[in-house]
Amino acid sequence: MGKLFAFIVRYSIVLLFLLLEIIAFSMVVKNNGYQQSVFFSSSNSIMASMYSISNSVIEYFYLKSTNDGLAVENIELKNQIIKLQNQIDVYNHSKKYGSVKINPDQEINFIYAKVINNSTNKLLNYITINKGKRDGLYPDMGVINEDGVVGIVSNVSEKFSVVIPIINPKIQINSKFAHNNYSGPVQWDGHDYRYAKLNDIARHVKFTDGDSVVTSGYSKSFPEGLLIGIVNKHNIKESDAYYDIRVKLCVNYRTLTHVQVINYSNFSEQQNLEKSVE
Amino acid sequence: MILFLQNILRFIILILVQIFVLNNIRLLGYINPYIYILFIFALPVKFSRPLSLLLAFILGLIIDMFSNTPGMHTFATVLIAFLRNPVINLYTSIEEGANPEPSFYTFGVAGFVKYIITLVLIHHTAFFILEIFSFIGFGYTLIRIILNSLVSIIIILGISLLKKK
Repeated sequence: MGKLFAFIVRYSIVLLFLLLEIIAFSMVVKNNGYQQSVFFSSSNSIMASMYSISNSVIEYFYLKSTNDGLAVENIELKNQIIKLQNQIDVYNHSKKYGSVKINPDQEINFIYAKVINNSTNKLLNYITINKGKRDGLYPDMGVINEDGVVGIVSNVSEKFSVVIPIINPKIQINSKFAHNNYSGPVQWDGHDYRYAKLNDIARHVKFTDGDSVVTSGYSKSFPEGLLIGIVNKHNIKESDAYYDIRVKLCVNYRTLTHVQVINYSNFSEQQNLEKSVE
Repeated sequence: MILFLQNILRFIILILVQIFVLNNIRLLGYINPYIYILFIFALPVKFSRPLSLLLAFILGLIIDMFSNTPGMHTFATVLIAFLRNPVINLYTSIEEGANPEPSFYTFGVAGFVKYIITLVLIHHTAFFILEIFSFIGFGYTLIRIILNSLVSIIIILGISLLKKK
């Protein structure tokens, strides 16, 4: 017993060192998955509120580009209003004269959120936004902005959420070519925040540089047809079965200030149904 | 007492600078220098080792919580806090009874530069290997380690130059 005690005293610093390193390493391993604990992430409310203070300053530098984006979006929304107006006219007309019935498709609406922390220079990039559980957010919701797909919500606290953007290799987003519906996952390769890779496109598929890559609608997070990027470069080796495709992402992550979270009202119903089959 | 306050102030300022300034540097897509470890470097040579390990743990944990990297900074920072004394003994000979803060003046230019370079390289290597460890290939990690270490070393030496005696 005395010897053991002497041993502990003699090597106390090494033992303390090993203990601390084991704690740190177990945190690395434990939180390596898709879902992190809220405490150790920037959705923790102390961290997040400090980020929102610093962001309220930084925000001013990006006002101009944000304004441009909003103006473009405004025009698109106006166009949609005109289209919908036409549909209403058709509907009223058909009500007057006969049988055609159009069910309005109200499955989806958008929740507006502000980006309060964002990185592009790391391997594992994350975005923190200022909406959380009390605003109706939950993990796996899709996130977009006016340019296209941004990422997927991973962690939600009461007032804040962490979004995993496309430029983080932890997620891949199911996508397809807009013109012929061949689908494959888009994943980031860790090099350049402007480009990602589109995988699993077989040799026989026909496409060219400049083709649009959109969401496939096979996941609950995104409806079909949201723009992810455009094909920037592709090549295929003699021996390969699949193309090596580089996609230029539509979203500029460096100037990201506002996003919209997609609220799919049938999310839990679809999830339960799919779970019951598994 | 002055030493105590000085170190607390340094602790807070380095964390704020790291999180709100340096984590936002976006040079070449790879560069994200980590200079918060300057706190560990600047502790007096004979500072209590258990306490310096605990401080390193807390410092790493705070940086981790702000940058969504659970455990990674903590691991790397505790590692250099532990290796600091052997490295100091390797490069310098401190007089018996003296307890200087590491700097150009107390270590000599060569000794201090070697001390900083060795520990920054160890810290960055540990951190970037942990970051990549369960993901895609190894290729760019080496570039990340070298580029980031270079920038961190330059910044840390620059800050140390500003310090008077």
